[in-house]
Parts: sequence; C-alpha cells; structure tokens
Amino acid sequence: MKLELNIVKYRVLCLCISALLIIPCFGAMIYSSIVSPTHTPVKVSIDYTGGTILQYGVNEDVSVDQLGKLRTKLAKDGITSAEIQIINVNSDKNSAIKSLISIRTKFIENGSDTDAKITKVVQSEFKDAQVDQVSSVGPTLGKELFANSLLAVALALLGIICYLSFRFQFDYALAAILGLVHDVIFVCGTFSILGLVCGIEVDALFVTAVLTVIGFSVHDTIVVFDRVRENLRYYSKKMSFSEIINFSVNQTLARSINTSVTTLITLFALYLFGGVTTKNFVLAMILGIAIGTYSSIFFCTVLVDIWNEKKYAGLSSNK
Amino acid sequence: MKNRIIMFWAIVAIFIASLSIIFHKDKPDDPIIKLGLDLVGGSRLELQAQKTETISTITPDMMDSLTFAIKKRVNAIGVAETHVQRIGQDRLLVEIPNITDLNQAKKMIGDTAELEFKKNIAPKGQKEKWVSTGLTGKDITVARVDTDQTGHWSVGLEFNANGTKKFADLTRAMVGEQMAIFFNGELQSAPVIQQPILEGRAQITGGGDGFSAQEAKEMVDLLNAGALPVPASIIQENTVGPTLGSDSIQKSEVAGLIGLGLVMLFMLCYYRVPGIIADVALCIYAVILFALFKTIGVTLTLAGIAGFILSVGMAVDANILIFERTKEELRAGRTLYTAITAGFDRAFTSIFDSNMTTIITCAILYWKGTDIVKGFALTLALGVIVSMFSAITVTKNFMLLIFGTKTLTKPWIFGLRQDEIGTAYQATESKKENAKFGVLD
Repeated sequence: MKLELNIVKYRVLCLCISALLIIPCFGAMIYSSIVSPTHTPVKVSIDYTGGTILQYGVNEDVSVDQLGKLRTKLAKDGITSAEIQIINVNSDKNSAIKSLISIRTKFIENGSDTDAKITKVVQSEFKDAQVDQVSSVGPTLGKELFANSLLAVALALLGIICYLSFRFQFDYALAAILGLVHDVIFVCGTFSILGLVCGIEVDALFVTAVLTVIGFSVHDTIVVFDRVRENLRYYSKKMSFSEIINFSVNQTLARSINTSVTTLITLFALYLFGGVTTKNFVLAMILGIAIGTYSSIFFCTVLVDIWNEKKYAGLSSNK
Repeated sequence: MKNRIIMFWAIVAIFIASLSIIFHKDKPDDPIIKLGLDLVGGSRLELQAQKTETISTITPDMMDSLTFAIKKRVNAIGVAETHVQRIGQDRLLVEIPNITDLNQAKKMIGDTAELEFKKNIAPKGQKEKWVSTGLTGKDITVARVDTDQTGHWSVGLEFNANGTKKFADLTRAMVGEQMAIFFNGELQSAPVIQQPILEGRAQITGGGDGFSAQEAKEMVDLLNAGALPVPASIIQENTVGPTLGSDSIQKSEVAGLIGLGLVMLFMLCYYRVPGIIADVALCIYAVILFALFKTIGVTLTLAGIAGFILSVGMAVDANILIFERTKEELRAGRTLYTAITAGFDRAFTSIFDSNMTTIITCAILYWKGTDIVKGFALTLALGVIVSMFSAITVTKNFMLLIFGTKTLTKPWIFGLRQDEIGTAYQATESKKENAKFGVLD
C-alpha cells in the first residue's frame, strides 16, 4: 500500500522526463512564433490582436458543406478575411442552441454596417440563427491588454519570489520559480500545439488559468519545502540532505496526490459537464495542475537536492 | 472543553447568520447572488473618449459630463439596471443587461448627437454652402415626437430663453432664405423661412419621405439627453445572448455540483470520519463564502465561478494536509488528542505559506488585471481567506469535540490499520514514551 519513491536516486531520470515534456513545448512555441500570422508563441484571440467575433446560435448540426456555402456567400459580400468556426454546444434535443457559428473578422467600427451584413448572410443560410455572442476589441486596446497581462504575470512572479525568499531561502524560492516556469511552459506549449493543430486560441481567460496554475504550482511546492524545512530542523544530524529530501517527498506524497485528485475531479466535472465558454480555460487548468503536482515532486526537489549536495557533503562526511 | 463548546455555538451562529444573509431578499424576485452579464445575458461596452482638433486633452470634467450624458441615453432606451462607470482616464464601461436591440443601443451610445442650425452663404444658383449660425442643440430645453401638417413624423423643439432670442433674431434676418438643420453632420431638412418665429419653437421634418416613428423617437431621445461633450467610440464589446448565458450557468451549476459531490465522496471514502467532518466544514465554508459575496456585492461571472471552484479545491487541500499530518502522527504512536493538535499545528505553516502566495497573486491580479481577471482574483482571494477560517477553526473544533480526549480504539475511522499505529515512531523520536506526547529530541 505504501508507495516509496526514491527521487534522489533517479534524479537524472526526473530531469530527463521534464526535459522531454518541455522541449517539444518550446519547439512548438518557437515554430508558432515563426509561422503564425500574429508571430506569437500561441494562437491569440481577438482579446490580444483586436477584432470582432460574432457568434450565432443555430438549432441544427452544421455540416461542412453549409460552412463552405456560408464562406463563399460572405466572400461575395466582400467579407473575405473572416474565419468561420463551428462550436458544438449541446447534443440535447430540447436545447434551443445546438451549435454556435463563430465568425471572426477585423475590428468592426461602431456605425459600420459590416455586422448587419454578416447577420443577413448567416440568416439567409440558417433561418433560425440568432446573434448569441458578440465580442469586439479595438486594435490598440488589444495590445494594451496583452502588455498588461504580461506585466501581471511578471509582478506575480516577483511577489512570489520575494515572499518565498523571506519565508524560506533564496535557493528554495528559485527552485519554486523554476518549477512554475516549467509548468507554465508546459501549459503554454501544449496550447501552442493545440493552436497549430486544432486552432485553439488563447484569450484573456487563459491568462487567468495560467496565473491559477502558478498559484497552485507554488502551493504544492511550498508544502513539500515546508516539510523539508521542518525535517532539516530535526534530522539534519541523522540524515544526509538527499535522504531528508527523499523522506519529505514521501511524507507529503499522499497529500500531494489527494489534493491534485480532488481539484482535478472538480475540473474534469467542469470540463465534461460545464458550459462551452469555459472549456479551454478548464483544460488549461487541468494540464497545469497535473504538471504542477509532477514538478513539485520530481522537479523542484531534485533541483534543491542538486544545489545543496555540495553544501551538505562536508557535514555528513564529518559525522 | 468549555471553550470548544462556545466556539461550536459561535460557528453555528455564523452559519445561521450567513444563511439568513443569503436568503434575505429586498424584493421577492431578487436572485440569491448577483450574476454577471456573461451568465444572464447582456452587453458590456467599453467606450473611449476621442480627442479631436478642438479637444486636445480629456479632462475629468469632460468625463463626468460624458458619463452623465451616456447614462441619460441608456436610460432612454428603457432597460433596467444599466450601469455606467468610469474606468481609467478616458474610458467608460457601460453594462446593459437583457438587451433586446443591440444595434440600437450601440447607435444611441456612440452618437455625438450634435444638432446645428446653419445658413447658406453661397450666391444664388450655386451649390449651397452651409455655415453655422451659432444656434445648436445646447439651446434646446426639450424635444418631442410630433407630426407635421402632412401627417408625417417630425421632431418638435423648444428653445430656452437664450435660444428663443437667437432663433427669433435669425428668423427675422433670414425671411425668404433657407435655414438648414444638421444632426450629426447630416442635413435633415432646410425649410425656407416664411416669417420670423418669436415663440421659440421649431420643427424638424425628415425632408423627402420624412422620419419613421423609430427615427423620430431616437432623435428625440438623443436631443433630450444632450450632446456628448467629447466624441466617444466603442473600443470593446462583449455581448452574450440570454439563451447562451442561461446555458452556461445551468451547465456550470450542474458541473459544480457533480464536482463537489465527487470531492465529498472522495473525502468520505479516504478519510472516513474526519472526511465527514471536512465535508460538513466544506458546506459551512460555501455558505459563509456566498454570504460574504452577497455582503460585499460581488457579481458572479464565469471567471468568478472558476475562482470559487479553485478556492474549494484549496479549502479541501487544507483539510487533506491536516488529516494526512494527523494520520502520520497517529502512525508515530501519539495519543489521539496530541495527534490532532499536532496535525493542525504542523500543517498550519504549509497552509499559511501556500495561501499567502495565492493571496499575493490575487492582489496583483486585482490591481493589474482586466475586468474578467479581477472577478476571478476577488472570488479566489475571498475563498482562500474563508477557507483558512473553515479549515483551522471549523474542522479543528469539530474534530476535538468529537474525538476530544478519547483514545483511538477503532483506527479504521481514520482510514488506518491497527498494525500501522506506532510503527513510525523510531524515525521521529528515540523514545516511545516521548513519541506518545509529541516530545521531540
């Protein structure tokens, strides 16, 4: 029943697994930066590029044929740069909305009749189509939101480093930060791949998800480090640093797994049964929390162990 | 023990107070908690005041009168509970729930509604050249929907004292000439003045085919609300139809309940009796948190719900940390009371440090983030704070009340086996007697 991990023994393997997870993500992000029209590591939504998305709810399943027709009709009306997508909302027969037709265009200025034109075209193809969601972001505002989001993330990181340096030591803080960078790269990289393959976009909510992952990842790491700190106080004479690390990880293992499991249960429930608008948000959190647990057990602790090996080597040989 | 009983009743009192806050309604159809526009359906528009040739800086005064004008206009559309708020230096946030005609609303908001009376200075026979007469929409006290002699819709205007005088002077000087009325820079009509008009009334007919009833009403509403002191354009818009909104909330509710139910089941199976206590504490936690949301006036959005769910995760985590620690202490052979208090004391630093980082992150998000992010940060931060209370106070109190000074005779109620108890002491302390009371070397 009792699971014993020997992470110190297999620390090279742990780092290799992390590298294996991270490197493809890096690759995808770099590839996306070069290939994508916005030159961003992930496919960004209108929240960051500026633009207008019109979503129409229809009470039928939309076929690829119909979509093609819609595209040609729109092009005929001079709306050529539009991106059209179908989002399946509900398979329930009684639901008023079965699918959403999402049309993304350049920012539609107030007073322009482009949106009315698009609505007309859509309604000529789908009689019961109703505008169900309109999001519009001005081009300058998009840039501003992007800069603000990056600033918020940077400040959050700084705040965490300061707090952890104050409560623990700088090397623990650094390991925790590297751990969360590890997690953020994994989540962003996966979304970069998803963006390249299935066209999933990153919006303002995604930043929220990433920040949550940051919070959770640090949360997890702190629990392990807190145990290391406590054990160091009592056992530093009896055990080597590596042994203490290993011991602490195993002591907190049940908690780490149980916490992740309970959080993941709620997130999976949200993903499977929740509304369509939060799906990507929840997916980002699922990925982040899973990797956050992994990194707090197998990555951050290994880093601290490697850094402290020399420092404590002298101590244990004197014993 | 006495303190614990007082504490228990204090928790019960807080719980009942929270319930009564949640179910207190000023009006019978008030919702339990205010829901964001992304859940009930509605429109969220962000306007930015635009600099023009004549307006080089946007002053706070201008923004105040812009806010006022926009408010009057939105109210004229007749939707309840609209919300106009200044954000930043030159921006306004307009929130309109249950919108029926978005395009009309947008038109109403974005229109500068500038009314101007102009005269023609071009010589006869040439193309008209209109110049301002100095009489504008500012000189009007009231506008109303009217009909002209032919029965077409028109807009009737009444001038204020100053306007009446200006209009009288102008019409006296311009008998036999055309006076044009421009609205938003568009020529509406240009009647020939037959005789001086002294009583301070004028009528705008739509020219050609006249106005439709809708057009006339819109113009009247705009004129009555007054022109915008600065032009404003919509830089961000977010509209959610009521069907999609209700779909989201229904699904989030179902998903949230399923998730919560599964988590509670997990806690029950894994931690047994303490698990039940954690589940009760979790319910109390949710009730207190919602009461707090209602008291502070938090509007629950989709992102806010996500923050709430995450905070539930963290509240459960606090309990897991404590129970794992308590189990460990039991394995080390401590008495039940020592194990429980040690479990709390030792888990506390972990809970505190990890929650502090979450709160720091939330504070930064609330400070720097966009609206969506702000809602998320607020619910998460409140959730984390309440979870500290529920884990430390509620769970601890219940644990001690139930187990108190008893000895652990049935280890299964903690999810432990009899042969596990007391096996781990050698790793912690050298003497078994010391281990029992948690005395460390």
